[in-house]
Amino acid sequence: MGASLYILDLVVYIGIFGIVALSLNLEFGFTGLANFGKVAFFLIGAYTYALLSQMGVPFYLCLITGASLAAIFGLLVSLPALRLRADYLAIAVLAFGEILRLIVKSEKWLAGGDWGTPVNPIFPYTGSYIIYRLENIGLVFLCLIICFLVVQLLANSPYGRVLRAIREDEVAAEALGKSKAKYKAQVFMLGSAMAGLAGGLYAQYLQYVLPGMFMPMVTFTVWIMVLLGGPANNWGALLGAALVQIFARGTNIAKDYIALPIDLNDLQYILFGVLIILMLLFRPQGLLKESTIKTKALKLVRNGRRAIKNKGSQ
Amino acid sequence: MEEELLRIREVSKHFGGVYAVNGVSLDIDHGGICGLVGPNGSGKTTLFNTILGLHKPDQGDIHFKGKCINNLAIHQIYDLGLVNAFQLPRLFFNLSVLDNMLVAARGQQGDRLYNSLFLRGRWQEQEKGLIEEALDILEVVELTQWAFSPAGELSGGQRKLLEVARGLMAKPRLLLLDEPAAGINPVLGKKIFQKLKDFSYNGIAFFIVEHRLEILFDFATWVYVMDKGKVVIAGEPQAIIDDPTFYAVYLGEE
Repeated sequence: MGASLYILDLVVYIGIFGIVALSLNLEFGFTGLANFGKVAFFLIGAYTYALLSQMGVPFYLCLITGASLAAIFGLLVSLPALRLRADYLAIAVLAFGEILRLIVKSEKWLAGGDWGTPVNPIFPYTGSYIIYRLENIGLVFLCLIICFLVVQLLANSPYGRVLRAIREDEVAAEALGKSKAKYKAQVFMLGSAMAGLAGGLYAQYLQYVLPGMFMPMVTFTVWIMVLLGGPANNWGALLGAALVQIFARGTNIAKDYIALPIDLNDLQYILFGVLIILMLLFRPQGLLKESTIKTKALKLVRNGRRAIKNKGSQ
Repeated sequence: MEEELLRIREVSKHFGGVYAVNGVSLDIDHGGICGLVGPNGSGKTTLFNTILGLHKPDQGDIHFKGKCINNLAIHQIYDLGLVNAFQLPRLFFNLSVLDNMLVAARGQQGDRLYNSLFLRGRWQEQEKGLIEEALDILEVVELTQWAFSPAGELSGGQRKLLEVARGLMAKPRLLLLDEPAAGINPVLGKKIFQKLKDFSYNGIAFFIVEHRLEILFDFATWVYVMDKGKVVIAGEPQAIIDDPTFYAVYLGEE
């Protein structure tokens, strides 16, 4: 009973962070945008969900509004920041995330400041935590599938091809008629909307939001997921999200069985750091390598060409 | 009277105190191959970059198809049909050769966010045609068998060829080529110029910087010679070869 509850909880987390990892993969993996402020948009989605739910707004509207607000903020932040070089963009959005967290931490009148604020649940508690979690899994994975379809369709379209071109060489992409500012702003909006959606689901599942849930470490955890799974591969982002969640919980469980002079929870951060360094040294492309662009027409040509080649070798 | 395709008047560009381009005026006609030669550092590449919008001219006007393009962004100039192939290839190294070609195609339906998701049928149909065109051009530059390899795996000369091929893929009205034959074996170099000539009959004009004069002068219809930021001679290849000033600036001979 306890174990199955724990696993169901893990599955919910994998789903929620899978969405965030997909959004970072769209921004960083495909377009090369170093978004170190992911948590900001996650926070916007979560707080929007919490506050609207208290007013009795239906849950789907809470989710949509949270995602839209995150997208609007994404656009506002990206407009000045996208003109900057990649490393400045990273610093600018990192600061934005911290500013937002400090604002919700300091205010008292809106969302309870440091103490946070409760969320109105959409699935009333029926006496079984298992059912409650299964309901949440249904909702989270429905959203995850939609997000996955969107990023997967984009990755395998001429649009995704342009994104990768901008990542490889933005001057060349611009010289070939692609307005990098337009594409980057669109991707930043879309990525932020997905993070906002995940934030709403997170708030709904935990039924509470407080500033401590939105530390910069959340951003870095998502980065580890993408780097580990393989940038520019959507399956890799999901794989990374699952592995990092399992790894984080594994150390939590292990600490009850292994006596160490330090708290394994703190060791987690060190282990994550070591993991990233090892990945970048020995397998910089991540566990799964970048997916190639697969459009219907390309597949046809590819298969056709294979046939020609085989004929030639006979 | 039909206007020139590209009209440059008194264009200057300086970096600090150095005038890289100093009051250059020239015209490029519709169709045909126009050459631009001159010693290293004479301002050819700076002139190209100024035409392209990578640098803003300090003085003067650049008109393309009768429209002033001084203040347009690079991607807007491309939309008008003025396309460039860089001297040092700037390829998308992790993308396949074919994908490099497809990025360059003008007027794609599927490179817009909405269309890529919701009008899939439309761009998929268009892409079939574009792939055919891309493979035809790759055939010309002998890169067909590399179509599905990452561009980063190509040799130096092949990268150069892909850069040129990518420019052709955009179906430009005017293609600027900066040393297309550099680093390419003479036979293939000649072959490529022959193909450029064929393309020029189909309404593409070429403006080419090239140090391989023996190839360029066989194919060019008009040649400008630059020295120290200025155009010093202009004329048909034969007239240039016969002009003693040409030897003075280019070969340093008296």
